[in-house]
Amino acid sequence: MRNLKSILLLVVLSVIALIIVGCSGQENGSTNTDSNSNPNPSNNSGETDTTARTEGGVLEFAFNAQPPTLDPLATTATATRDFARTMFEGLVTFDSNYQIQPLLAESFEVNQEENQVIFKIRKGVKFHNGKDLTVDDVVASMERWATKSAQAKSFLPGITFSAPDDETVVAQLEKTGFVDMYIFADQTQIAAIMPKEIAQQEEVKEYIGTGPYKFVEWKQDQYILVEKFDEYVSPEGEPDGLAGKREVFVDQIKFNIVPDSITRVTGLQTGEYHVGNFIPYDSFQMLDSDPNVEMKIVESSMGGLVFNKAKGVFSDIKMRQAVAAALDIDAINFAAYGDEKFFSKSPQLMLESQIDWYTDAGSENYNQKNIEKAKQLIEEAGYNGEVIRIITSREYEDYYAFCVVAHEQLKAIGLNVELEVYDWATVLEKRQNPDIYEIFASGWALRPTPVQYPFLDSAGAWPGWTNSEEIDSAIFNIRNAQSAEEAKEHTVKLQTAFWDYVPIIKMGNSMEISSYRSNVQGFDYFIGPVLWNVSIEK
Amino acid sequence: MINYVFKRILSVIPVLLIVAVVVFSITYLTPGDPARVILGADATETEVIELQEKMGLNDSPIEQFTRWFGNLLQGDLGDSYFMNKSVMAAFADHFMPTLSLALMAQLIAILIALPLGIFAAVRRGSVLDQTVMGISLIGISVPSFLLALILVLIFSVNLGLLPVAGYQPLTAGLDMHLRYLLMPAVALGAMQAALITRMTRSAMLEVFNNNYIKTAHSKGVKEKKVLFKHALRNAALPILTVIGQTFGVLITGAAVVETVFNIPGIGQLIINSVERRDFPVIQGVVLLISITYVLLNLIIDLLYGVLDPRIRLDKK
Repeated sequence: MRNLKSILLLVVLSVIALIIVGCSGQENGSTNTDSNSNPNPSNNSGETDTTARTEGGVLEFAFNAQPPTLDPLATTATATRDFARTMFEGLVTFDSNYQIQPLLAESFEVNQEENQVIFKIRKGVKFHNGKDLTVDDVVASMERWATKSAQAKSFLPGITFSAPDDETVVAQLEKTGFVDMYIFADQTQIAAIMPKEIAQQEEVKEYIGTGPYKFVEWKQDQYILVEKFDEYVSPEGEPDGLAGKREVFVDQIKFNIVPDSITRVTGLQTGEYHVGNFIPYDSFQMLDSDPNVEMKIVESSMGGLVFNKAKGVFSDIKMRQAVAAALDIDAINFAAYGDEKFFSKSPQLMLESQIDWYTDAGSENYNQKNIEKAKQLIEEAGYNGEVIRIITSREYEDYYAFCVVAHEQLKAIGLNVELEVYDWATVLEKRQNPDIYEIFASGWALRPTPVQYPFLDSAGAWPGWTNSEEIDSAIFNIRNAQSAEEAKEHTVKLQTAFWDYVPIIKMGNSMEISSYRSNVQGFDYFIGPVLWNVSIEK
Repeated sequence: MINYVFKRILSVIPVLLIVAVVVFSITYLTPGDPARVILGADATETEVIELQEKMGLNDSPIEQFTRWFGNLLQGDLGDSYFMNKSVMAAFADHFMPTLSLALMAQLIAILIALPLGIFAAVRRGSVLDQTVMGISLIGISVPSFLLALILVLIFSVNLGLLPVAGYQPLTAGLDMHLRYLLMPAVALGAMQAALITRMTRSAMLEVFNNNYIKTAHSKGVKEKKVLFKHALRNAALPILTVIGQTFGVLITGAAVVETVFNIPGIGQLIINSVERRDFPVIQGVVLLISITYVLLNLIIDLLYGVLDPRIRLDKK
């Protein structure tokens, strides 16, 4: 009896202690966020008024992943992209409406014969090693980019670069097209300009660019440190997206590699970190109620289920259309994200802010929830109970949720579905083999043009193996368009074909949540965190 | 003694050989490709194949094993695919945080466990004994990550006394070093403390029943002397064994706590390497951990002799 009393006393005391701890510190319900009910990068500009800002300090950034490399051309990983652009700059970049703006170029134009892009290079720009930027550096760097970047190789085959004088670089193409400038400005494998002697090396191990911050140290699995580049020469103009004036107020940025999301969240609460990325959706409420923390929610990627169209039941278009007809995408998105704040129901390939490309074509085939139509299509396809294997990973909880809910919904219409769960590296390998799966879930960072999504083009032979004449033809026409109007016309055809051929089922766009302390000014997010024009106020 | 140590070290060789073959086979058979991880999800198949060729990943398993094992015999564990450094250098970088954490956790565990275990044994059946056993049961049952999160909530978020996460080496100052290690060490040491407490209690109780303790009491030897000189010394062997085993676990099994507190130790190195399929690091670190385990066991065996003259090895 005495034993029982002692144990009960202990349990009660522990519960009381936990309740006290859990309740304290949550009393402030004030909201001080700039999260957006209809967020997109164009209207998510942070404060960019750079008057009377405090200089100095180390910006502690809790970053979710270690990049595989800091060479922006050696990987398509977004972690590398986010670091690289603090140090490296390209010739052109995007403003918040995804329009092309000069960066290291002073100006650019296409010649009358429509086979050259002529870049005038800004004068007085210096590299981090003190050397002046020259056209030779630009030519060597762009040649490296042309041979290393997947986008450049795919969209600008045979491109060459030359420097007719000491302020001009010419990109020579067989024929220029409307998407070319978007490829030059693409952020995934940024066309980083570096000194010629480095650009000519096979593997870049010295990270010397012209960007606002210069590389100091990379302590593996711990942090990456960059510091203010005192001799930085900024482009002019109002800051807008990635374009315009770039001012550096902080002395250093320390990218702390913090893979554990709870650690990022608690570190933001205590002020140990100034900025944190990839804040988990279920921590939003807690941080949102903290008056010392600001939130930024930005539409950053799209997710979906990719069909294996090379072999198996989904090589039949009717089977894919059946799945598109059956799925209750609302239910899937709620399971994946929990709240409408964290996703947008978006059947479109492009954002509304991407004014050159946005269209609603084909949207009627999104989120149909039409079971009868689905069953009819399955019957027409002659489906005979073949096993449908969905492969997924728990490392991306939203993709996993797509698969779990889709698995149940597809079973309900009589499909014989199995769910196979692996780690992400295994999924990456397995999805290359058309014999061992029917569906996998994935996501893609939002791209500047629709033709850059790897699941559309048959030439890329990306897993899922899309092979549609309509899609290929639309892509070809967009690439060769000479005007925005012409490109838009074919984008309508592309998106119609996308929802008809159904290479993937797009679930929508997901939001990325970044958080920052209230004393951080000027933090913005546009295709990744924007870390110039940021200051730490007292 | 020297002969014994030499023989023990020699006996490690077949163990390591087996570990080497098993680890290589597991990493080879595990799906996942470092080239795809390096290049990112949007890389084209051509790029992946090019990188695989460059990294030698398309060679046959026999070729890869021969190359790796040949280098191993020369003391070269290879280079990390991701870290731009040798496996040995990566291990050395990550070993110090783990060692510091393990030592501190062990110290905390011993400081808590020995007095509690001894008092629980002395006051067997009392409220104190039952409370200690109850707390130790909770200590064993609460997962270290949960305890870690509770500690963070109390001491960092609410009280603001300690940093949430991170690691500062000794070179940053002892004060900073300890500030960053205190919470992870408590989270890690709690379970070990619970184990050692229970072992201390039961070992002491076993010794209390021996005749020499009764003799000591009947001779009028002071209670303190009986407890520490006669009882504790004779109960030390099983306690030492548990301490040795738990230290091995602390060195090699701190992955979860290291992840929660973002400590760049061996556990985190292994987890990161598995996630990104950094095969040379996985193979090398598992081998080095095996060696560490064997050496720790050897040290414990040698300590037996120090504590108990009856099993001194040079007298065998």
